[in-house]
Amino acid sequence: MIKINNLSKIFRTDLIETHALRQINLQVNEGEFAALTGPSGSGKSTLLNVLGTLESFDQGDYLLDGRSVKGLSDRELSALRNEKIGFIFQGFNLIKDFSLFDNIELPLRYRGFSSAERKRRVEHALETVGLAARRDYHPSQLSGGQQQRVAIARAIAGEPRILLADEPTGNLDSLMARQVMELLEKINQQGCTILMVTHDPDQARRANRHIQIVDGQLNDSSMYEPLAAGA
Amino acid sequence: MEALIHNLKLSWHSIKRAPLPYALTLLILSLGLGTFFSNATLYYWMNRDPIPEKSQTLFMARMNSTPGDCTDCFEPPRVISYMDVQKMSGSGITSAEAAMYSSNAYAKTVENQQATPSQVELRVTQRDFFKLFNVPFLQGETWPDNKARMEVVISKNTAIKFFGRTEVVGQDMLIDDQLYKVIGVLDDWSMLPRLYDVNGRRSAEPVEDIYIPLETAYDLAIQSNTQNSFFDVDWDGDMATYPQMARTNFVNQLQFWVQLDSPEKVQQYQQYLKNLVQDEKAAGRHTRPEGNKLDNILNVQKALRATNDQLDAFALVASLFLLVCVVNASHLSLNRYMANQYEFSLRRALGASRWQLQSQIMADVLVSSALAFAAALLFAQLGLWTINSLLPGTRALASWDWQMLSVMALFVMLISYLVTLYPALKTSFSPLNQQLKQ
Repeated sequence: MIKINNLSKIFRTDLIETHALRQINLQVNEGEFAALTGPSGSGKSTLLNVLGTLESFDQGDYLLDGRSVKGLSDRELSALRNEKIGFIFQGFNLIKDFSLFDNIELPLRYRGFSSAERKRRVEHALETVGLAARRDYHPSQLSGGQQQRVAIARAIAGEPRILLADEPTGNLDSLMARQVMELLEKINQQGCTILMVTHDPDQARRANRHIQIVDGQLNDSSMYEPLAAGA
Repeated sequence: MEALIHNLKLSWHSIKRAPLPYALTLLILSLGLGTFFSNATLYYWMNRDPIPEKSQTLFMARMNSTPGDCTDCFEPPRVISYMDVQKMSGSGITSAEAAMYSSNAYAKTVENQQATPSQVELRVTQRDFFKLFNVPFLQGETWPDNKARMEVVISKNTAIKFFGRTEVVGQDMLIDDQLYKVIGVLDDWSMLPRLYDVNGRRSAEPVEDIYIPLETAYDLAIQSNTQNSFFDVDWDGDMATYPQMARTNFVNQLQFWVQLDSPEKVQQYQQYLKNLVQDEKAAGRHTRPEGNKLDNILNVQKALRATNDQLDAFALVASLFLLVCVVNASHLSLNRYMANQYEFSLRRALGASRWQLQSQIMADVLVSSALAFAAALLFAQLGLWTINSLLPGTRALASWDWQMLSVMALFVMLISYLVTLYPALKTSFSPLNQQLKQ
């Protein structure tokens, strides 16, 4: 599903260079639910952004679904994000002027689905997260947990191969956090690969794999297979 | 179409989110565009070809026949004498020719003699005037020849003003207490700019109310109200002697227009004038150097040094003001886009390509253009009203035709796009991750 080999990311200013990711090797297989943990500034969000193609990288290679993302055009990267990746953000990132339906429909529009297909997918996603009755509500009319479920619905409506979740429960109380985690587990059981950044050790334990990152380097002994040359 | 409607909906949401900054951006942009449009309107009307179907064939002819020795005076006077016109007429080369000048008078109808007479603008001219400038007749026709006759042609508005109707051929009118018969009524007609009357910078004024035969005007001592120059004339001011004096002296007040239908005809008429000068010199007249001029109607403003430099200066100032407004509006627009940048980044994260964002931005441009166009037209009307109040001679230049409105609408779209371009590019190319992380 995901293979990265010797990947490095450096943030540069006029005065300093910060090595956010150092020679990282990682493989995430299809159907995995992996938790990525580490102290603040360790590089976990940077890694997630690189995996989500929101951020470029300086060295190494990254293969998503067997295809190298290096050198892809903006159009190709956008299509890749739209079709294969679903994002779940800590702050939900819903458009407050839009109804739930419109928010979930947005990425489907960029994919060029017909109106009927968009409607079918949005309604299915809303049912999955248990908010079918509130399709015309606006985000401000929902609790934090409900908003995050809408964000999850938006992420899964396009039936992506992988969900990238950046502290999805960071802004929620424990009850709502548990509901969101249960929802993510349910989605994972349906076959969707999930890579989740979290601070919370309890949530990390709920994942079936735990990857730690410290100072831009991975500490992950499990399931790592080096990339085959030319893979 | 569905995508366009969706994008327009997004633009509307974006406006509702911060209406005041948007209104301020729009106000600045519309103010610049409105000022530019009011000046562009004047500039357009003053610099257009008023008679494109035959402008290449119309020429104003002049001779350098002013008396007096002056070996380096090559430029003929702006207006010529009756004697010059007589010599320059009847060449057989022109397909139409007419001498003319403008004047004014007070007029009323015979039926309503007790009424206070109204001031009217006169064009003193000859039979071919109407043919030269394609002037349409609603009723009647022009004079059969160039002889003096107490007959006038009047404009449609004049007919309605004095008689309340347009079927007035055969009716009598009192013009400066002289009785004239109406022989023709013109249909709706305007010529902007009125290039047959640029002397005195009067080309922006509306066409005249009443047309009087040249010979009649000379007989009645109706003089030009634009330029009337006497050269070596010994006249005691007795109006009874004016007709004879004005016809036989250098009383310069006439412009002489000819229609020459081909370059060969132009060449022939130039040669005709050249021969005329040689004959005059041989007869001991035309003491100045030959300085014949045959200026095409589209060059006549420059030839008579009657171009409106103020208009050019205003156009420059309006263009610079527009530039300042565009820069300011672009800055405000940048702030607005930066405030919404998180949403752009979110769209990119959800799979929108930069091109798809551009189509959203184009919808923003479309909405801005529509609103800016409406507001700019209001400001432009206000600007024109102010200019017309300060310069009454520009009143005829304050209208827009569909062609102008279309060009203005396209211009607003272009400017709106320019205002949005930099903010849009900056937003589209900014890093995605920072905006999405809270």
